[in-house]
Amino acid sequence: MTAISDPSPAVTDFRRALVDALDTVGDATGRELWCALGRGGVLAAHTAGEDPRADRLRALLTELDARYPLGVVLSVCVQVATALPILLHGPASEHVAGVGAAALRGEAMLALAATDSAASGSDLMDLGTTAVLGEDTVVLDGGKRWITNAGTADHLLVLARHRPQRHFTSFLWVLVPADAPGLTVEPADGSMFAGSGVGHLSFDAVTLGRDHLVGAPGRGLATFSRHIATERLAGGLWAGAMCRRVLTDTRRALADKPLHGATAWDNDAVRQRFARCLVESRRIDALCADVCGGSGGLVDSMVLKASVADSLDRVLGECVQLIGADAFGAGGVARLRAEAAMFGVAGGATGAMLAGVADHADDLLGGPR
Amino acid sequence: MDTRFVTMLRPFLKYAGANEITLDSSLRDLGLDSMQAVELLFAIEDTYQVSLPDELLTDTTFATAGNLWAAIESSGVGAEAGAKLC
Repeated sequence: MTAISDPSPAVTDFRRALVDALDTVGDATGRELWCALGRGGVLAAHTAGEDPRADRLRALLTELDARYPLGVVLSVCVQVATALPILLHGPASEHVAGVGAAALRGEAMLALAATDSAASGSDLMDLGTTAVLGEDTVVLDGGKRWITNAGTADHLLVLARHRPQRHFTSFLWVLVPADAPGLTVEPADGSMFAGSGVGHLSFDAVTLGRDHLVGAPGRGLATFSRHIATERLAGGLWAGAMCRRVLTDTRRALADKPLHGATAWDNDAVRQRFARCLVESRRIDALCADVCGGSGGLVDSMVLKASVADSLDRVLGECVQLIGADAFGAGGVARLRAEAAMFGVAGGATGAMLAGVADHADDLLGGPR
Repeated sequence: MDTRFVTMLRPFLKYAGANEITLDSSLRDLGLDSMQAVELLFAIEDTYQVSLPDELLTDTTFATAGNLWAAIESSGVGAEAGAKLC
């Protein structure tokens, strides 16, 4: 991953194409947004080359966060940061390559189905969805839950096990058409994450040709790991953008809020609490830069993910307190904070990240392993 | 085994200490868990610029140092590494 830097001409062009694309749709569903980004060449420009630049990812997520609710941004983020890179990684069958090209044009929506019904979301080793390989076929059985775009995707990128051994070589990816016989999609209950298409998947003898395999059998988790640092960076960049937006709004609200004959912003205690939020926000930015420029790979990305979840919750929680009752209105920070709690769960829970960090304690302390 | 391989392997084996790593050394017993094995795979493929054959992507390949080295050799690095056998 290349470092975040001052906008280059290429990034300036990217941002211009992005804004133009978004201006064509205004308020939009996840699908409308995905179509617009593809039609405007934004998706192709983002994935150009082997290593999408972090500053393009930051520009994309900052612009989306400013315009769309969390669920809609999530719908795009999952595809850009994880599903597309896995789909476009390495040699592919004609079918898989065709879906990848259609996705880049915005004509096909993707879902990434890793979290399994049979295991804790962070414990991929125990996932229970099976893929039985035949000479020409692959047969899927099992289930996935809390999958973004489950109800809206045209193709679902499903992580399954083709061997029983609890080892990273026991997994593969299968690209499942949304209309495949034996696939059932159930929308998630509750009112959170509007626009994300989140839902649960069930596979009952879903039978596909082997040209639906993405990458080689045995490389599923390795391919996922290759791209997980980008996914975690995307989370950090998005959280940083969210903090800046909410803090800007909160700062404005405090300046307008009467308090003891002045404004809330003039109160030293309020200013200190706000300053603490700024520090947390900058901590997210610094760790993102660390992941971009560092060589630690997975370890740095685990530190980033664990820290982002804590910092974001602290910033949004403090902003709820500072804004007061208005934070609970429609589109208020209280609702955003509840949904943003997913930063500590989706893609690996904070506890799992900290366990991984502990495994690399000596590396992080700079001493011998 | 290639000395470069042993040097690359050792940081992943937290229980190896300064003990010799032999062909029969059990990587799991020496501390290699499955997720670290993913990172080891990346290190191997980046260091030797090879891709392990699909049929060798199994838990058996990652069971011992000797099995893993044999898989690397079968990927086409044997001739180059032959001069560095230890």
